[in-house]
Amino acid sequence: MLTYILRRVVISIVVLFGIASLTFLIIHLVPGDPAKIQLGQRATPEAVAKLHHEMGLDKPLGEQYVEFLKNAASFDFGRSFTFKAPTSEVVSNRLAPTAILIGYGLLITLVVGVPLAILAAVRQGGIVDNAIRLVTTFSFAMPPFWFGLMLALLLGLEANLFPVSGYESGIDGIIETMTLPALTLALALMVIVVRNLRSSLIEVLGSDYVDAARARGFGEGRIVLKHALRNSVIGTITILGSIFGFLISVLVLIEAVFQLPGAGSLLLQAVQRRDYELVQALALLSGFVVVVVSLFTDLFHAVIDPRIRLAGHSE
Amino acid sequence: MHKLVPVGFLGLLAVLVVAGCGGSSSGGTVSLETGDSTNAACERDPVKGGNLVYARQYETVTLNPYEVLNGAGDIWAYEMIYSNLVRLNPEGTDNEIVPGLAESWDVSADGKTYTFHLRPDLKFSDGSPITAEDVKWSLDNFGSPKVNEIMAVLIGGYQSAKILNPTTVQVKLSEPTAAFLYNIAEWPAVILPKAEVEAEGDAFWKHPVGAGPFIAKEFVQGSHLTFERNPYYFEKGKPYLDTMRWNFAVEGNSRVLSLKSGQAQVADGIPYSQIPALQADSNLVVQKTVVPAWILLSLNNEMKQLGDQNVRTAINYALDREEINRVVFKGVGELPNSLFGHLNYDSDKVKPYEYNLAKAKEYMAKSKYSNGFTMTIQYPVGFEFYKQMTLLIQQELAEIGIKVKLEELSAPNAVERWSGSEYQGNFPFPVTSSDVPIPDEYAGFYAVPASGTEGFFTHWADPTTAKKVEEFQNTPDEATRAKQWPVIQRELFEQSPAINVMDVPFVSAHGANVCDTFINGLGVDRLEFTWIASKAAS
Repeated sequence: MLTYILRRVVISIVVLFGIASLTFLIIHLVPGDPAKIQLGQRATPEAVAKLHHEMGLDKPLGEQYVEFLKNAASFDFGRSFTFKAPTSEVVSNRLAPTAILIGYGLLITLVVGVPLAILAAVRQGGIVDNAIRLVTTFSFAMPPFWFGLMLALLLGLEANLFPVSGYESGIDGIIETMTLPALTLALALMVIVVRNLRSSLIEVLGSDYVDAARARGFGEGRIVLKHALRNSVIGTITILGSIFGFLISVLVLIEAVFQLPGAGSLLLQAVQRRDYELVQALALLSGFVVVVVSLFTDLFHAVIDPRIRLAGHSE
Repeated sequence: MHKLVPVGFLGLLAVLVVAGCGGSSSGGTVSLETGDSTNAACERDPVKGGNLVYARQYETVTLNPYEVLNGAGDIWAYEMIYSNLVRLNPEGTDNEIVPGLAESWDVSADGKTYTFHLRPDLKFSDGSPITAEDVKWSLDNFGSPKVNEIMAVLIGGYQSAKILNPTTVQVKLSEPTAAFLYNIAEWPAVILPKAEVEAEGDAFWKHPVGAGPFIAKEFVQGSHLTFERNPYYFEKGKPYLDTMRWNFAVEGNSRVLSLKSGQAQVADGIPYSQIPALQADSNLVVQKTVVPAWILLSLNNEMKQLGDQNVRTAINYALDREEINRVVFKGVGELPNSLFGHLNYDSDKVKPYEYNLAKAKEYMAKSKYSNGFTMTIQYPVGFEFYKQMTLLIQQELAEIGIKVKLEELSAPNAVERWSGSEYQGNFPFPVTSSDVPIPDEYAGFYAVPASGTEGFFTHWADPTTAKKVEEFQNTPDEATRAKQWPVIQRELFEQSPAINVMDVPFVSAHGANVCDTFINGLGVDRLEFTWIASKAAS
């Protein structure tokens, strides 16, 4: 088990290094000079040169890269020139709404998605099953941007249940302002949970040990909840872990629609302004989250399924 | 100088900016309400009190006027928190300079000395007195290219300020500068408490003290900025609102939803496509304000075809601007009669180009490129109306043999290709606008080589026009300027180094019970006039 964990940690570090390098290269190679964006188009060449120097952009790219890696390793991302403040401070001020959105969104996804998946699996091929599949596929296919606006329109404007946008902290504030954004996120994720869980449940429900349980006279409810669900949920968690990257792109859109002061909208702004420090910090942070989540998913996986860690061991 | 800087900057984040200019031919800018709903309650005398929520398309990033980080998002906030010696008429009916903290001023015969007389008993928002020392120090900041780095172009001939007595400050210019009063009406010339700024340094800008109608209370980046009434504001009785909250809402549809749900009472930057629906809502008023803003299609005159005057004229006649206005701008735009949006001294004797395909073809035939040619037009991504507009332009230019290839670029990239002259046709800004309501700034960019912008990156040059513009810039006498400009206006418009596709207004909307939503000639909300009428009365 220890070897397995060690191996996964090493791989994670390599992946993070790759993310850091790619981000650095991409943001430095796309057109758009941050100094010119900052100073406006009629800035004198001297002013641009001065700012380049302040930003360290007058050094060779290789040197900038090495410096960036050194700083990244010590979690120092310098100053954001867009906000004239330390990058770490700018980013940390924007994390709460995004973290809440992800947590709340996943909660709704699971609370609604798991029962739907069970229902679809036990009524396989029936009207309920087909209806659930149709609805979740539809909700997945619609762009979150559009879905967010529709929810704001229906539940916010028409039904007046929630504010159409904005963010308030505190439990009451979060429930009031984050329910619609979280629902939008959940609708985008729901199909993944329902589809996966449904198919693995169907598979498990047809397996020998479930037949054995039935033969012993256990009730169908107990079989599904205690035996089948436990064994099916592994795959679903793995998939949720691995789509974390996709989730981040959805967050940018949801935050824009609901005017949430989160890290997603900050990323968009940072890219538009070519704020290298800020883009790198945010990309690395989201990379870090994805890597950590997938590491934990794998470990969790290994804990409940001994075959995985044994396979790792034998290699 | 320009809001262009802001648009360039900030505009990047900008969503649908409905900025623009309108060419109502009145010479001044006007604000007119296009909605049917008017509220009888607004006919009464203003009442004090109430809290206003404003959904704003541009986020405020800094309250420090010397570092403008986000164009209009920052500048509009400065206009609420600080005051200048003079200001643009806040009621928005013309572009006159009217008294601000100075109640009057004298100008010497040679146009090089301005003597400002301060109002009596002026106070900052913390109750401390505004002294001549504060005024001199603030003006010297404006005049220092080190402090006023970003808007150094506004400094013009500023030399020094001298305190004559506790309520009189004199400014010396190195040469007569016709735009001087307009320049010091802009944000880099706000009057600040010297001692506090010097003592607190960067911390001052977290809770700044100014002499504007409102005091900034809570500022959460990316979320909102709240204000409270400044009890020491120099105009007695104003502002009317107790508090104000600006919610930063960069997404156009989201602003509209805030407004419709009543969560916000005012929203700016209304997407063109939403205008008809909002006009139909009896609880809302759509407001269109004519400002000097326009859709600029820059042409690189170094491309030999575009360097041919006949080709550029042909393009002007080939554009069906009526159609573009109807389809893309839902009729709120106005057909331009100038290379720029509507500015002071514009003459309506200069007529817009009509859509005339026959004439356009004639000009193409007269050019050296009668067989047509292919050109690429670049435009910024992220602005819904650009796709539609550029497709229309592509079809219309095909009629005269110009095959247009469209290239969509990220906003910063579009600007960079333009300012690096790596383009043929280019829309550098979603909307281009002037920072001052007079033509000195933009005429200089296009015509005066010393501006250093290569004819605003068109590489067009005409020494005759250049001379006329320079003379205009250095003439302090208003009456003479009013005669000089129409000649230049016509020359620039006929030579068309670039194409003004459309003059576009600011479009905002507000609840029918929100009264006196004045917007000045540059599009700045003068919320010190705004008040809320009781709903029952409507």
